[in-house]
Amino acid sequence: MSIPLSWYLILAAALFAIGLFGVLSRRNAIAILLGVELMLNAVNINLAAFWRYLDPAQMAGQAFAVIVFAVAAAEVAVGLALIISVYRRRKTVVADEIDLMKW
Amino acid sequence: MTQSDLITILPLLALVVWACALLLVDLFIPKGRKGWTALLAAAGLALTMGLTLAQAGREASGFGGMLRLDGFSTFLNVLFLGSGLLGVAVAYGYLKRMDLERGEFYSLLLFSITGMMLMAQAADLIVIFLALELLSIPLYVLAAFARPRADSEEAGLKYFLLGAFSTGFVVYGITLVFGATGTTSLAKIVEVLAAGSLGTGSLLLTIGAALILVGFSFKVAAVPFHMWTPDVYQGAPTPVTAFMSVGAKAAGFAALMRIFVMAFPSLSADLTPVLWALAALTMFIGNIIAISQTNIKRMLAYSSIAHAGYILMALVAYGNPAVAADSVASALFYLVAYAVTSFGAWSVVMSLEKPDAKGLEINDFAGLGRRNPLLAAAMTIFMLSFTGMPPTLGLVGKFFLFRTAIEGGFIGLAIIGVLTSLISAYYYLRVVVTMYMREGEPQAEGEYWLTFTTVVTALATVVLQFLPAALFALAAGAVLK
Amino acid sequence: MTAEQILFLLTGALILGSALMVVATRKLLHAALWLVAALFGVAILYAILQASFLAVVQVVVYIGAIAILFIFAVMLTRREMRDQGQQTRTNWWIAALLGLLILAGLVFLILAVPGADRLPAALPEGLDTVRALGNALVSPEAYVLPFEVASVLLLAALVGAVYIASVGKKD
Repeated sequence: MSIPLSWYLILAAALFAIGLFGVLSRRNAIAILLGVELMLNAVNINLAAFWRYLDPAQMAGQAFAVIVFAVAAAEVAVGLALIISVYRRRKTVVADEIDLMKW
Repeated sequence: MTQSDLITILPLLALVVWACALLLVDLFIPKGRKGWTALLAAAGLALTMGLTLAQAGREASGFGGMLRLDGFSTFLNVLFLGSGLLGVAVAYGYLKRMDLERGEFYSLLLFSITGMMLMAQAADLIVIFLALELLSIPLYVLAAFARPRADSEEAGLKYFLLGAFSTGFVVYGITLVFGATGTTSLAKIVEVLAAGSLGTGSLLLTIGAALILVGFSFKVAAVPFHMWTPDVYQGAPTPVTAFMSVGAKAAGFAALMRIFVMAFPSLSADLTPVLWALAALTMFIGNIIAISQTNIKRMLAYSSIAHAGYILMALVAYGNPAVAADSVASALFYLVAYAVTSFGAWSVVMSLEKPDAKGLEINDFAGLGRRNPLLAAAMTIFMLSFTGMPPTLGLVGKFFLFRTAIEGGFIGLAIIGVLTSLISAYYYLRVVVTMYMREGEPQAEGEYWLTFTTVVTALATVVLQFLPAALFALAAGAVLK
Repeated sequence: MTAEQILFLLTGALILGSALMVVATRKLLHAALWLVAALFGVAILYAILQASFLAVVQVVVYIGAIAILFIFAVMLTRREMRDQGQQTRTNWWIAALLGLLILAGLVFLILAVPGADRLPAALPEGLDTVRALGNALVSPEAYVLPFEVASVLLLAALVGAVYIASVGKKD
C-alpha cells in the first residue's frame, strides 16, 4: 500500500502515448491494431487505479473495465476479419492508402 | 426493473428484439426473395417509430439515471428511425442491382440504429461509449459490405482503423473525467461541478473533455480529423454512405450535445476557442477541397465535412449562455435539414450509379435535365438546399445557425460561414449546370422505392421550409434542460 | 523503497519495454508476442491493485483470446508480409513527436492534480470485490444496462465478422 496514484496514471499515460505512436507510425494494418490495443490497456489501468484509490466500495471503475474488455474483443474480431478479407484480395495488409496522417 | 426503466428502454428493446428475430427469420427467406427481409426491417423501424412517437412528450429516467427519455432523445430518435427507413428503401433496389442481396445487411442496419438511439438517450459516459461502439461496429461491416470489391473492403478497413483509434481517445478521455469527478453519470458530474470543490482537478476534467471532443470529431468528420471521410464515403456501397453521412454524424453530434451541454456547460466556455477554430477550419477546408473533386461521391463527402462545420458553429454559440437554448435548437433543426437533403442527393447518385462504381463522375450527370427532368429537378433542389439558397430547407437552417452565432457574439464565425457558403455555391451549382447545359445520355434507374425516396425528400426539402416555425418549435422543445 | 514499489517499477518496466517493442519491432509475429508480455504485465498490475477479477480476465480474455487471435491473423497473412520493406512510415518522427507531446502534457497534468500522490486506503473490511462486481453488473440500479448492451454489441460484431470472413459465392 505504498504506491502513489500518480505512478499508475503516468504509466497509463506512457502506454497510451506508445500506442498512439504505434497507430500513427506503422504501415501494417495489424500493427496499427496492436497500437490500439495498447491504448485500450492504458484506459483499463486508469480505470482500475481510479477504482482502487477513489472509492473501492463503489464498483464503477471495475465494471467499466469489464465493458472495455468486451468492446476490445468485439473490435478485434471485426477488425481482424476485415484485415484478413482485404489480405485475401490483395495479398497484402500494408496500409499505405490508409495513411492516417495524410492531409 | 421498475416501470420507469421499462418506459425509457421500450423503443430500444423493441428494435433490438426485432433485429435479433430478423437474423433468424432471414434464414428461412430464400435467396432472391430478400425483399421480405427489407420489408420486415422497415416494419420493425416503423413499429419503433410508433412507440417513440407514442411516448412523445413523456419524460422519464431509468436504470439508475443511465438512460433518459426526453424531448431531445425523441426528436433525434425520430430522425434516426426516419433515416433508417429511407436507408432500407434505397438499399433494397440497390443491393439487388449490385448483386449484394444479403439478409445480414438489414440486421446490421438495425443494430447500428439501436446504437444511435442509445446514444441519444444515454445519460452516462459508459453508455455513451457503448452506444458509440454499437453504432460503429455494424457500420464498419456495412462499409465493407460490397466485398469482394476492393474499394469497399478498404473503405471498411480504413473506417475501422480510424474508428478504433478515435474510440481510444474517447474512452481515455472518459477515464480522466471519471478520475476527476469519481462518477460517470452526467447528472452526478453536474452536481460535482456545481459544488465547485474540484480545484485544479478541473484541469483533468478539461483535458478529459478535450480528448472526448477529439474522438467525436473523428466521428462527425470535422477538420483536421476528416481524412478518412472521402475514401470511406467513396468506397462504401452508396446506401451505406447515405445512411452513414446522416445517422453517424447526427449520433456524434447527439453525444457532443449531451456531454457538453448537459454535463459540462461551464466547461464549454473554456473550450469555446477550440470549438471556434474547429468549426472555422471545417467549413473552410471542407468547402475548398470540394471544389476540386470530379467524383460525385467524393464531392458529397467533402460537402458533408463542411456541413459538420456549420453544425459545430451552433455548438460554439453555446459558450454564450444567452443563446444557449437557441444554439441546441438550431443545431437540431440543421441536422434535420441536412438529413433530408443529404438522403435526397445520395438517392439521385444511386439512380445514376452503374455496377463497378461506374457513373459516379459529375460529368456523368450531363444531359440529365433533358433525359430525366424529374430527377434533375430533384437534384437541383438538393444542391440549392446544400448551398443554402431559396426555396429550400437549407436556407432556413443556415438562417437559424447564422442568427444564433451572431446573437451569441460570434460575428466572425458567422461571416466565415456566409463566405464559405458562397464558395460552396460554385461546386454545387456546377452539378446543376452540368445537368442542364451539357450534352449527354445518362441512363437513370427507375426503381420504384428509389424514385419514391427522391421525390419524398425533394418535397420535404421544399415543403418543410414553409413551416420552419413549427419545426423549430419542435427542436426548441427538445432542448436539454 | 518498499518491496511493493520495487515490484511496481519492475512491472512498469516490463509493460513499457514490451510496448515499445510492439511498436518498434520489424517482425510482426514478434510484435504480437511482445503484446502478450505487455498484457501480462498489466495483469500483474491489476493483482497489485487487488482487482483480482480483472487480473484473471486480463489473462483469460486478453491474452487467451485477443492476443491469440492476433497471432492467428499474423500467421494467416504472413507469407507476403514477411518483414519485407519498410515497416514504419517515412514520417514516423511526426508520430513520435506527437506521442511525446501528449505524454508530456498528460504527465504535467497528472502531477498538477491535487491528491495524485495519495496512497490507497485499505479495502473495507469484508468487501468481496468479485461478489460486489458481480452484483453491480446485474443490478438494474447499477450496470445491468451496459452489461446487456455489451452482449448485443458482441452479437452484432459476431454477425459482422462472420459475414466479412465468409467466402462469398463468387470467390
